[in-house]
Amino acid sequence: MSRILVPCHVKGTVALQVGDVRTSQGRPGVLVIDVTFPSVAPFELQEITFKNYYTAFLSIRVRQHTSAHTTAKWLTCLRDYCLMPDPHSEEGAQEYVSLFKHQSPSMTFPKWLSHPVPCEQPALLCESLPDPSRVSSEVQQMWALTEMIRASHTSARIGRFDVDGCYDLNLLSYT
Amino acid sequence: MLQEESDLSLIIAQIVQKLKGSNLYSQLERQAWASLQRPEIKLESLKEDIKEFFKISGWEKKLQNAVYGELSVFPLPSHPAAPPEHLKEPLVYMRKAQGSWEKRILKSLNSMCTELSIPLARKRPVGEQKELLNKWNEMGTDEPDLSLFRPVYAPKDFLEVLINLRNPNYENGDSLSFRTHLGLIQIPLKVKDIPELKECFVELGLNTGQLGIDDSTQVPPELFENEHVRIGQKVLAEQDSAAAQQYIRQGSPTALRAELWALILNISSEPEDVLYYEQLKTNVIQHDLLVDSLIYKDVKLTASNDDYYFVFEDYLYQVLLCFSRDTSVLSHFAYNSASPPKSYIRGKLGLEEYAVFYPPNGVIPFHGFSMYVAPLCFLYHEPSKLYQIFREMYVRFFFRLHSISSHPSGIVSLCLLFETLLQTYLPQLFYHLREIGAQPLRISFKWMVRAFSGYLATDQLLLLWDRILGYNSLEILAVLAAAVFAFRAVNLMEVTSLAAAEVMRNNRRIIIWCGIPVYTLLKLE
Repeated sequence: MSRILVPCHVKGTVALQVGDVRTSQGRPGVLVIDVTFPSVAPFELQEITFKNYYTAFLSIRVRQHTSAHTTAKWLTCLRDYCLMPDPHSEEGAQEYVSLFKHQSPSMTFPKWLSHPVPCEQPALLCESLPDPSRVSSEVQQMWALTEMIRASHTSARIGRFDVDGCYDLNLLSYT
Repeated sequence: MLQEESDLSLIIAQIVQKLKGSNLYSQLERQAWASLQRPEIKLESLKEDIKEFFKISGWEKKLQNAVYGELSVFPLPSHPAAPPEHLKEPLVYMRKAQGSWEKRILKSLNSMCTELSIPLARKRPVGEQKELLNKWNEMGTDEPDLSLFRPVYAPKDFLEVLINLRNPNYENGDSLSFRTHLGLIQIPLKVKDIPELKECFVELGLNTGQLGIDDSTQVPPELFENEHVRIGQKVLAEQDSAAAQQYIRQGSPTALRAELWALILNISSEPEDVLYYEQLKTNVIQHDLLVDSLIYKDVKLTASNDDYYFVFEDYLYQVLLCFSRDTSVLSHFAYNSASPPKSYIRGKLGLEEYAVFYPPNGVIPFHGFSMYVAPLCFLYHEPSKLYQIFREMYVRFFFRLHSISSHPSGIVSLCLLFETLLQTYLPQLFYHLREIGAQPLRISFKWMVRAFSGYLATDQLLLLWDRILGYNSLEILAVLAAAVFAFRAVNLMEVTSLAAAEVMRNNRRIIIWCGIPVYTLLKLE
């Protein structure tokens, strides 16, 4: 199953603040980012990937249009998903994150995340070791990735550091 | 497939790919081919029979050790969207700081080259090559004029850089707070507190036997020492890396230490390894590097002046000069926030096909670098083995002590851990030292950067390094540093100046039982 990037428009952040007056001391703790999808064709959203920058908790709400007659509703897909275990320290502050779609039988959406991803997800993992033959077949699928890694590695153990026997150097380069 | 299973497949794929380039892989292949001669290997059940053969002959164990070694060293694969720099160091401002620091080092080295009119590297004339080969085993007798050379940097220069590190997204506000104004490190990294340290270093608890404490002459050996030695011998017989790593958390018997470290670091002296070392030696003979003079100077200034280590001076040159030529060290830059310096062949500036790394291993030694090698000379006398052990220790641990990163074993985290422990559990002492202008980190920084080499008696130091290997972490250095202060708290409260505090600390040896100060701190709760 091939996956493609869905073009989306990410608007600037809007701070949620009580009242109209923006004071220098009142730093908002909640920022909202609007993401719209200009493409008209329906799609199944599989994964949202982003790089964090000091956001501690993430909530995702989607507005879904079902038909022309009913009004669009806002649904909460994700509430307070923890990105930084300790918001006052650097853990998770600049990490790359992926959020996945999970099937939920009670809802059928042509697009959007169909089931909220709870913070307790790790409990769903299988506790035992995976089946080796299944893992090895998955390894085959990962081979494209390793080929890419291999291309960037020098294979020779006894690596030569000179160029055709020459290692006459003047100065170090700053670039 | 679930995300976690795909992560596991990715880890397996990466390890397989890494091991495919190793000696072990070719050895396993050869063994598998040779095993076809054996009667118990049947064609119908070829795969199972060969696997069984590997298990019985001990090759499976070797493979397990290799995989375990890879898992200990290589960080878990990060998100597919993350670029390689993210694996080196996830925080952008730290990467930038490391980049600036490196640029300063490069400038310093370049200006030294220009001032002294010495090239970075040159090919030795044949006569000089012969001469060096003849005195390879006694390079210490050489007395070259090194007066014009100066170390590229000293630990205190590096400390100033760390003190000035700032997270641009972190605002302390105008109000005074403990965090901002008491300690020197201003980066909000996550460090363990005492309960977490106790959990992590559970084998160092008061109820567990330790070598260095419970094998002293007053304690009957039947209580702990004999059994511990027996278990150590068993671990060596099994040749199990993971078991050795667990075992050594309680310290290693002197007689078993060399083998245990080699097992944990997965070093076996195959003929290929000896040949590799000989190749490096040839590289040293053929090319003269400016970095060699820095190494000479460092050895003369530090290890040669040390009562314990001066006898090993020749070994140090044999290891460090070869280390500089070893391009296999370059692979550790994938997970090191630092990057190897670049240069171009003379006359080919800017042409990528003539771009090279300098020195070939990408590591520019600083003042005190040779002290990472010196203690190992007590354990290994064969140069190629000594070399392999040092190289592995460097790419697993020591590199973290002189590069700027957010890693829990990185020097920044260690400094913060030290300061936090002291502030939390000895606030009076911390405050007093600060008031007299003797910030504790200024005293303990050099201990941690050198992993206490040169500041502890060798038997103590080796017990400390046992724990670094056992826990695969450098955090014990910060804990020991804080514990030393705790141990001497009463005396330190009486000093009235930084100089006096330094004198107390800078006795050539801090002769203390390595374990006791750690306990002192760990039971402060």
